[in-house]
Amino acid sequence: MHIKEHPILAFKRGRRVEFFFDGKKMWGYEGEPIAAALHANGVRVLRRSIKLNRPRGFYCAIGNCSSCLMKVNGEPNVRVCVERLEEGMVVGTQMAKGDLSRAKANPISSSGGGSGIRKTDIAVIGGGPAGLSAAISANQMGAKVTLLDRNSRIGGQLIKQTHMFFGSEKQYAFIRGIDIADILADKLDKEMTDVMLNATVLGYYREDGVLGVEENNRFTKIKPERIIVATGASEKVLAFPNNDLPGIYGAGAAQTLMNEHGVVPGNNVLMVGAGNIGLIVSYQLMQAGINVKAIIEAASKIGGYWVHASKVRRLGVPIYTSYTVKKADGRESLERVTIWQLDKNWQPLKGTEIDLNVDVMCIAVGLSPLAELLWQAGCQMKYIPELGGHTPLRGEDMQTTVKGIYVAGDVAGVEEASSAMVEGSLAGLCAAKSLGYDNGRFKELREEAINELMNLRSGPVSEGMRKGLEQLI
Amino acid sequence: MKKSGEVVIIGGGISGLSTAYNLARLGCKDVVLLEKESLYSGATGRCGAGVRQQFGLEINCRLAKGACEILENLNELLDYERDIELKQGGYLWLLTTDEEVKLYKKNVQLQNNLGIESRLITVEEALEIVPYLNPEGIKACTFHQKDGHVNPFQVSQAYAEAAKRLGVEINTFTEVTDIKVKNNHIVEVITDKGKIATNKVLNAAGAFAKHIGEMAGVKLPLKPERHQILATEPVEPLLGPMVISTDLACLQEPQGSFIMSYSDPDEPEGVNISSSWRFMEEMAKRVCTVLPILSNIKVVRQWAGNYTMTPDAAPILGSLPGVEGFYFAAGFSGHGFMLGPMTGVLMAEHILGKETTISIDKLDIGRFERGELMREPAVS
Ligand SMILES: Cc1cc2nc3c(=O)[nH]c(=O)nc-3n(C[C@H](O)[C@H](O)[C@H](O)COP(=O)(O)OP(=O)(O)OC[C@H]3O[C@@H](n4cnc5c(N)ncnc54)[C@H](O)[C@@H]3O)c2cc1C
Ligand SMILES: Cc1cc2nc3c(=O)[nH]c(=O)nc-3n(C[C@H](O)[C@H](O)[C@H](O)COP(=O)(O)OP(=O)(O)OC[C@H]3O[C@@H](n4cnc5c(N)ncnc54)[C@H](O)[C@@H]3O)c2cc1C
Ligand code: FES
Repeated sequence: MHIKEHPILAFKRGRRVEFFFDGKKMWGYEGEPIAAALHANGVRVLRRSIKLNRPRGFYCAIGNCSSCLMKVNGEPNVRVCVERLEEGMVVGTQMAKGDLSRAKANPISSSGGGSGIRKTDIAVIGGGPAGLSAAISANQMGAKVTLLDRNSRIGGQLIKQTHMFFGSEKQYAFIRGIDIADILADKLDKEMTDVMLNATVLGYYREDGVLGVEENNRFTKIKPERIIVATGASEKVLAFPNNDLPGIYGAGAAQTLMNEHGVVPGNNVLMVGAGNIGLIVSYQLMQAGINVKAIIEAASKIGGYWVHASKVRRLGVPIYTSYTVKKADGRESLERVTIWQLDKNWQPLKGTEIDLNVDVMCIAVGLSPLAELLWQAGCQMKYIPELGGHTPLRGEDMQTTVKGIYVAGDVAGVEEASSAMVEGSLAGLCAAKSLGYDNGRFKELREEAINELMNLRSGPVSEGMRKGLEQLI
Repeated sequence: MKKSGEVVIIGGGISGLSTAYNLARLGCKDVVLLEKESLYSGATGRCGAGVRQQFGLEINCRLAKGACEILENLNELLDYERDIELKQGGYLWLLTTDEEVKLYKKNVQLQNNLGIESRLITVEEALEIVPYLNPEGIKACTFHQKDGHVNPFQVSQAYAEAAKRLGVEINTFTEVTDIKVKNNHIVEVITDKGKIATNKVLNAAGAFAKHIGEMAGVKLPLKPERHQILATEPVEPLLGPMVISTDLACLQEPQGSFIMSYSDPDEPEGVNISSSWRFMEEMAKRVCTVLPILSNIKVVRQWAGNYTMTPDAAPILGSLPGVEGFYFAAGFSGHGFMLGPMTGVLMAEHILGKETTISIDKLDIGRFERGELMREPAVS
């Protein structure tokens, strides 16, 4: 079902078009992800697993996990959570590995894909709050930027965040995430920044510092003088029996589906994880008229901000701490979840099981940095659980151990959007300065950013984060 | 780590591992293998793992045939339970010039004489084997059904486990830094984790074999050279054989991924495992010309490894007359994986002073000085 009315969001949709799913005629909006259109039509099973033929749906909804591969117009292995719907598309459940034999061969262009190499001062990879802020401050210093994002619009995760931000005025306190995305996009210097959308950076070639980019199904190349990696993070999964059932989604994925694409994820939801994302998404689900049956949290206390927790509690949602998922059940998609309690040593207690009839379970157990490009580049990495996993070592100016490669935002250690923006500014300033660009205010702006980061990280909730960060710099 | 060993093997690739196993199998109880990184992290873990018997040189045909027979029975021989994914879908060799056709006709003759059932086939016959082949520019093909592909990790692991069971000590993340020679005899191997006294050392260090040779004061005519390769997403079976020509080599693994590679004549000498965007572009162009259906498939990764070339593209197996106890198994020139099972048998026999199952006299290092080069014509 598509959401018709929303207290905050007004969905800009394409025209209504017809498409086909396994031979059946269906309707969707042009330009929305195929997975969203299918979900709105009640289709949750997108493919069958390779060996055991198990039903599979999407999980991350932002192109990270490959859980949603389907056959589209004869081509197998298409990630339908990001592939856009077109009129008359023929979409099919993918059985096993996908069959190429019926796909039409593409003509090879005479240039053989061998396009020239674009040059730029700074390539910023990722147009979330971190990447946008990096581009803005690099522009301010005088550097030219190429900003790349694999999504069809900029804003990163902000474009699904309907809640208002805290913090200082500088980080847009009391403004909703979606609006911050617009504000940042407006601040970009259009003359100085070349924005490439639908452009996925696939590889960093150490040999000559070239970035390989897939842009609208073509392989293109960019050679920047400096690189700022601001690719964000991906949602973690949780291990329990039947965790692959359609209907079990990342919490961010449910948020994406609902707030970005205007599709109702389901009727009854269990939220796993009471960190900020779990709490915020629960609240947003209720805003869209969906019943949140419970929030469970394996730790003995709630991890997110108290404000967010009391908001959902006030609406009558129980939060069970020291509880985890025992198993999920359902024939083709999720029907029931069994949860159970954990003792002080995190061991499950028999006899504490509770069955919950839900058709959606959202997993909000944290994010891990999307750091593939940093590994490719040979940046030194360190495993820091407080920051989400393997995180790059870096200096105060956000430069990694590989000269010329900077990081900002979640990829530099998972925090939140406010710190992502400040880290982005800092990286943009320093990368530009290292190329000799300075509008005269570099020193002052750099100081300012470093102080802001200190302030943002000063609260008691950030203690783990602070400890983690100490290991990086 | 042991303080001494009867035989010390440098290199945990297929050559070193299979020799270690065979030494132990033949009763040598005191074998130490040293690998500077993790096992099979050199060319072995980076290769295409194509397995063929279609060579143009008698010795290579014999080695390859022997190795293939071992692979066909590897699970049993090594008491290994996991699937080594041997797929004998054949090698389909595309011939595009009259000279090539003439040469490969001769090769097929030689192969047939040695009991290898390869044959020269027409383009029409080739299209029956690979319906997706673009026949343009192809004059004829050779085909041998028993050629194919195997999982290099499984095969290497099988050897490593069997060797360990028979008492071989395997030390990973242990780098050989020097070799001590006294009165023309090997006496000691020095590593970053300590010293090992020994009189016998096998240099199976792949691209670093030249460097290891220098440690013992020996100059080896070896040239490491980068080769790049890529893998696609898995799809349902489309391609039976490895399709190979002077332009490229492309196969589909049993799990569905396509693996492809080509040789760049302009690649400079040197150890190098970085990837290039040029390879990605050029590979895509070449494979889409030969197998246009692959224009729809997605690449999931690319990587590189090193070939170790000799002046005649045949391996160096044997010992060095000047330094007693210094043995080599190196310079495989791009086909050392498929020969690996046989390399191990022969080198173990040779090191233990036994007569080798197949004579390796002509593969010794002296051939370059004697001017008796082997010249393998069928290299891709
Ligand atoms: C699904 C999801 C939902 C979230 N919801 C909330 C929330 O409600 N509230 C909250 O406080 N925090 C939320 N977060 C946390 C959020 O990550 C941070 O608040 C903030 O967005 C981090 O900013 P960033 O710029 O580092 O990353 P992101 O905002 O994630 O931006 C990264 C951008 O990089 C692009 N990208 C990634 N890889 C490539 C590539 N190889 N080539 C080109 N482009 C690439 C992505 O498309 C994306 O636009 C959420 C995170 C996720 C993953
Ligand atoms: C892209 C590519 C594709 C290929 N395709 C095929 C194919 O289809 N079929 C085929 O048969 N062959 C193929 N080859 C060739 C094949 O991979 C090699 O010939 C074979 O693996 C050589 O094995 P090896 O054990 O001799 O050397 P390696 O596997 O390179 O092992 C040598 C080992 O020695 C170690 N070492 C080096 N120096 C030291 C030191 N100082 N101390 C300790 N350890 C040291 C290295 O770390 C390494 O692990 C390919 C090669 C490449 C690069
Ligand atoms: S890639 Fe589509 S759901 Fe993750």
